[in-house]
Amino acid sequence: MTPIIEAVPEEIYDIELEHSLLEANAKLARQNRALLDEHDITAVDVMGAIGSGKTTLITKLASIYQGKLAVAVFNGDATTANDTDGIAALGVPVVQIATVNGCHLDANLVGKALKRVDLEALDFIIIENIGNLICPAEFPLGSRSRMVVVSVTEGPYMVKKHPHMFLGADLVVINKIDLAEVMGVKVEQLVRDVHTLKPDLRVIPASCKTGAGLDEIAAVLAPKKAAAHA
Amino acid sequence: MHELSIAATIVESVLEFVEARQIGRVLRVRLAIGELTCVQPEQLKFCYESVTQETALKDSALEIESIPARVRCSSCAYEGAPKYWMESLADTPVATLQCPVCGKSTEAEQGHECAIKTIQYVS
Repeated sequence: MTPIIEAVPEEIYDIELEHSLLEANAKLARQNRALLDEHDITAVDVMGAIGSGKTTLITKLASIYQGKLAVAVFNGDATTANDTDGIAALGVPVVQIATVNGCHLDANLVGKALKRVDLEALDFIIIENIGNLICPAEFPLGSRSRMVVVSVTEGPYMVKKHPHMFLGADLVVINKIDLAEVMGVKVEQLVRDVHTLKPDLRVIPASCKTGAGLDEIAAVLAPKKAAAHA
Repeated sequence: MHELSIAATIVESVLEFVEARQIGRVLRVRLAIGELTCVQPEQLKFCYESVTQETALKDSALEIESIPARVRCSSCAYEGAPKYWMESLADTPVATLQCPVCGKSTEAEQGHECAIKTIQYVS
């Protein structure tokens, strides 16, 4: 029988640690940000559920920026690489980041991806996070802004069900509005839900099919120096 | 399941501490988790139990202290508890960044915590 040794109270110690569990990632995110700033590069972290249309939206944005801004795309994916062909076809450098079934990108992976592109030649990096509306919120990557993409095909309660993601967002895109009527989803209600959480959060209804909202998103996300050219 | 990576970070941090001090066994780890994080205490406890097996943290208790959100409004100078969204479909009313007084956007000044507060151990 295994002997059980009970500690007497004098031998039990309590120690205060105040050790942040997110600090390791936050520190790497700050390093990424410093590296980006040093090269005058703006980065945006694109978050949204699987099927919200992140990749298609990013492809459209990359094509709007073509000839105006030097763009690279980091594509987070749990396993595959088949998302990025359309973007690569535009001549945009793409770095695939496989999280090996991890549910969010982290600053360490993005830091590695930053070593794979020519920072001297870039103005703008679009980081596509893993399709997930919960996890990425706690893991900043070092981007200047965070965009959340929700689509009407996810139903009328997406914001009500996943409020956390919106609290940390700088821009919300309500995607696939061409399907709103078919889906019986009221875009204005989704906008109201977002504004209940954060009244000054910019919300842009969009459709990659009709092109609605795309120029506005491109203008909001683009680095300041590009806006000055326009 | 970001709870799993958080649980792994807890174990990593505590083990580092344990090894540096030649501690025999950890009895209790207390965390502070802010209301504005989306860390689920139940899932975190489950993950913690799984990843502590075969370590000096095996059978240790994980206690989670919830830190309420606090917001500050730069428009009307309100400071205090956030406005809650009762119509949300989350398990509990959701803390928003809408100012309860003037309705403008606020900044969160508390509620994003995710930290180990204390460790109790036997020498």
